[in-house]
Amino acid sequence: MVAARTRLEIATENLANASTDGFRHATARGALTRNGVSVTAVADASVQGGLRHTGRDLDLAIVGPGSFVVADAAGRHVTTRAGSFTRERDGTLRDATGRMLLAGGQPLHVPEGASIDEHGRIVSANGLVAGAITLPAGSSVRSGFLESAGVDAIHEMIDVLSAQRSFESAQKVVSAIDRTREKSSGDVARLK
Amino acid sequence: MAAQQQNLDTIADDLANADVTAFKGSAQRFAELTAPGESGLGTIALGPHVLLTQGKLERSGGAFDLAIDGPGFFVVRDAHGRRCYTRDGAFERASDGTLRIAQGPRLDGITVPPDALSLRVAENGTVRATFANGSRDLGRVRIALFPAPDRLRNTGGALFTATPEAGRPRLVAPGSENGPTLRFGMLERSNVSIVAAMMQILSAQRAYEANAKGVQAADEMLRIANNLQRT
Repeated sequence: MVAARTRLEIATENLANASTDGFRHATARGALTRNGVSVTAVADASVQGGLRHTGRDLDLAIVGPGSFVVADAAGRHVTTRAGSFTRERDGTLRDATGRMLLAGGQPLHVPEGASIDEHGRIVSANGLVAGAITLPAGSSVRSGFLESAGVDAIHEMIDVLSAQRSFESAQKVVSAIDRTREKSSGDVARLK
Repeated sequence: MAAQQQNLDTIADDLANADVTAFKGSAQRFAELTAPGESGLGTIALGPHVLLTQGKLERSGGAFDLAIDGPGFFVVRDAHGRRCYTRDGAFERASDGTLRIAQGPRLDGITVPPDALSLRVAENGTVRATFANGSRDLGRVRIALFPAPDRLRNTGGALFTATPEAGRPRLVAPGSENGPTLRFGMLERSNVSIVAAMMQILSAQRAYEANAKGVQAADEMLRIANNLQRT
């Protein structure tokens, strides 16, 4: 029953983030242990979410593997695939939660009027390359697009229902065991 | 579910303003809700951010209509004399000689003498008035460019006010190289696509329903757990 509950938690978490750009859905992995079935969430990093056209130049989507490295307020480096950035007065790019985009460990500076090409290079208005977003080989960046969450709502819905049903089956087993014990304790008492 | 509700509010606001001249739509952004060392807490709406894409320019025929082709804003002053920024160029000549947009703010720096017969605004922003005995330049319309225009605060309709985050505006003359140009006799439509907004409503509604189903399943499971003792 604990396993079924964990499965429901994973499926609802995926459903809740179906509109979160760059979200990578987790899959429930079950394993038999001595104490029954244990379910853990495994982050699935390989699925490419669909690209959604937004028309904003600083909405960036990565096609292929790789992620943006951002620094949060405490200076910790975090990787994310959500590429909706806004340009600050000082030229740095920040995402929706205020984290700063880094390139090679340093904040990335984007001059006014610059654009970002598909290799992740920052090309200023006069054609000079002012910096680049670090990407693994073979990946590219699309400016004006965001990567939608790679969540298959139908799949998650089926998971919600099947988690509920397996919870019910487990409950049936528990009550069957309960009835057996009740019977045995009752009958043993009568024998005496 | 609360996040999707906020998403619907944003879309509804866009739709309501889809016919407002030079209105800029917004998009809701979501983030995964996390706590230190924990994840899987759901989703949160981060608040809408304004989409400053160019709206379609439409020939309007108004005598003082202006549209900006490219980035930037007109500088207007509201009733209290405060500076506001807008791309709405549907100006009308008021009795005091100022050019005002429908919401009341007046265009900064231009006053039309009462005996002027007609106005023309060139692509470089020069305002030329025709009088009974010739014509004369009245001044120049300037366009404000911000380092971070995304961060301007929308104060209703198509009006924006400056914020410290948006930076100090730079006033440029229209028509300069790589800069915006002015179109006289045209208006910028809102950049809201009604079809796209309708589709967003549908998908927000479906996402809301899917989440409701998840809540229902959890509720059902708790009910079963509660009945364990009785059965």
